Amino acid sequence: MNRRWAGRWGGGLVGLAILALWAKVRVDGLSMDTQATNPLVRWEWVFLREETRAELWEATVQHLKLTFIAVGAGTAISAGLSALALRLRWAFAPITAVTGFLYTIPSVALFGVLRSRYGSFLAAEVALTSYTLLVLVRNMVAGIDGVPTSVTDAADGLGLSRTRRLLTVELPLALPVILAGIRVATVTTVGLVGITAIIQLGGLGQLIFDGYGTQFYTKIVVGSVLSVALAVVLDFAFNRLEVLCTPWARRAVT
Amino acid sequence: MSVLGGADEPTNVIEWFTDLENRDILRPIPEQAWLTIWHSAFALTMVVLLAVPLAALLAHHRKGELAASWIINIGRAVPTITIVGLLVIVSLRAGFGLEPWPIIIALVLLGLPPAFTNTYAAVRGVDPSAVGAARAMGLTHRQVMQRVELPLALPVILAGVRTAAVQIVATEPLAAFFGAEGLGAYLRAGLSRRDFVTVQGGALLVAGVAIATEVALMAAGRLLLPKGIRLNVRTSRADRHLRRDSAPATT
Repeated sequence: MNRRWAGRWGGGLVGLAILALWAKVRVDGLSMDTQATNPLVRWEWVFLREETRAELWEATVQHLKLTFIAVGAGTAISAGLSALALRLRWAFAPITAVTGFLYTIPSVALFGVLRSRYGSFLAAEVALTSYTLLVLVRNMVAGIDGVPTSVTDAADGLGLSRTRRLLTVELPLALPVILAGIRVATVTTVGLVGITAIIQLGGLGQLIFDGYGTQFYTKIVVGSVLSVALAVVLDFAFNRLEVLCTPWARRAVT
Repeated sequence: MSVLGGADEPTNVIEWFTDLENRDILRPIPEQAWLTIWHSAFALTMVVLLAVPLAALLAHHRKGELAASWIINIGRAVPTITIVGLLVIVSLRAGFGLEPWPIIIALVLLGLPPAFTNTYAAVRGVDPSAVGAARAMGLTHRQVMQRVELPLALPVILAGVRTAAVQIVATEPLAAFFGAEGLGAYLRAGLSRRDFVTVQGGALLVAGVAIATEVALMAAGRLLLPKGIRLNVRTSRADRHLRRDSAPATT
C-alpha cells in the first residue's frame, strides 16, 4: 500500500466509482413504459425487465457449457495424441498435419456439414473439439519437450520409471506451457461457440441473431458485450492460474 | 429424397453441383464465389497495408509496446461473430446498407491481430547483432529495416499474413447470415430450409476456398523466400548440429 500503488490504482477506482454512481442514477430514472423508439441500447430492457436477467444468465450458462465440454474433450484427446507423438517421434508430423487441416476448415462449413448428419449439440461439440486439438497437441508436446535434459537425466538417475518421470517431473515443469495452450483453446472456443447460433444452439450468439432478426439492436449489443466479457474474463482467469502453478517463477528475485 | 418422383431436387452433393436450374433463389456458384473472394482479397490487402508497416515500425523503434500487447491480446479474445454483428447493425442504422463496407471493415478488424502479432514478434526477434552490425556500418534506420530486419523477419511475417488470410476467408461466409451474399448464402439457405444437400455443397465450397488459400499462400512463401531463411529446411545428418532448433548438448 505505498504511494505509487495508490496513485496508479486509486485514480482508476475513483473513476470507476463515479461511473457506477452515474449509472445508478441513470438506471433509477428508467421505467418500463418508455416509447419503443429502438435506439441502439434500450437500457430499461436490460435492467428493469424481469425476465432479461434469467435469459442472459441462461444464455451465458449454455455458452459456458458448450465451451467447457469441448475444451475438456479436446484436452483428453490431445493428451492421448501427445503421448503418442512423444513415444513415436515420427507420428508428430502427421498428427500436426491432420489437426492443422481440421483447424483450417471454416467453422461455418463444419457446423453445417455435421448438422446435416447429426443433431445440433453433437455436431457443435465434435466441431468445437476438433478446433482445439491443434493448439493443445502442439503446446503439450512443446511443453514436455521443453523440460531440460539435465532434469530428465537426474530423474532417470534417481531410478524413476518412465511413467513416474512423466507424472512427477515432466508434467509439473511443462504445466505453464500446457495451461497456456488450454487458455488459448478456451478463448478460441468461446468465440466459435458464438457461431453455433447458426445451428440454433443458443448461447450468446443466439442473442445476436435474435436481435438481428427482430431488428432489436439492444440484444445484439448485449450479446456482443457479454461474449467479449466472457472471453476476457476466462483469459484473465487462466492467466492467474498459470502464475499460481509456477511458484518457482514467482519466487525468483530480480 | 425424391418423393416427387422426378429428378426435381438434387439428392446428393455431386448432383447439386451439376444441376444448374434448381438454384433459383440463390445466385450461381461462380458469382457467389467471386463475391467471397473479392471481399476477402480486399480485406487482406488492407490488413497487410495497415498492420505490417505499423508493426514493423513499432517493433524496430521499440515504441508502443503496451499498445501492441493490447492489440495482440484483445484481438485474440474478441469473438468473430461479435465483430460482424456489431458492424452490420451500425451500418444498417447509419443507412450505409450491407454491402460491401461493413463486411470488409469487419474482416479487416478480424485479420489485423494475427498479422500484427507475427510481424511485431518477428521484427522484434531479429538477431540484435545483425542490426547492430548494420548500424555500425552506417545504415540509416530505414535502410536497416529495409535491408536487414524485413528480409530476416519475412518467413514469420508471411506465416502471419497466411493465418490472417485463412481467418478472413473462413469468416466471410458468416456475413451471409446477416443478410449479405457470398458463399455463405448456400449455408444460410440450406440451414433455414433444412435442405442438407445445399448445406453440404456450400460447406464444401467454403472449405475448398479456405484450403486453397492456405495452400496457395504456402506455395507463394516457398517461392518467395530464399532457402537460407525458410523455417523448415531439411538439413543433412552431418549438419544436424547446426540446426537452430536442436537442443544444446549437455557438457
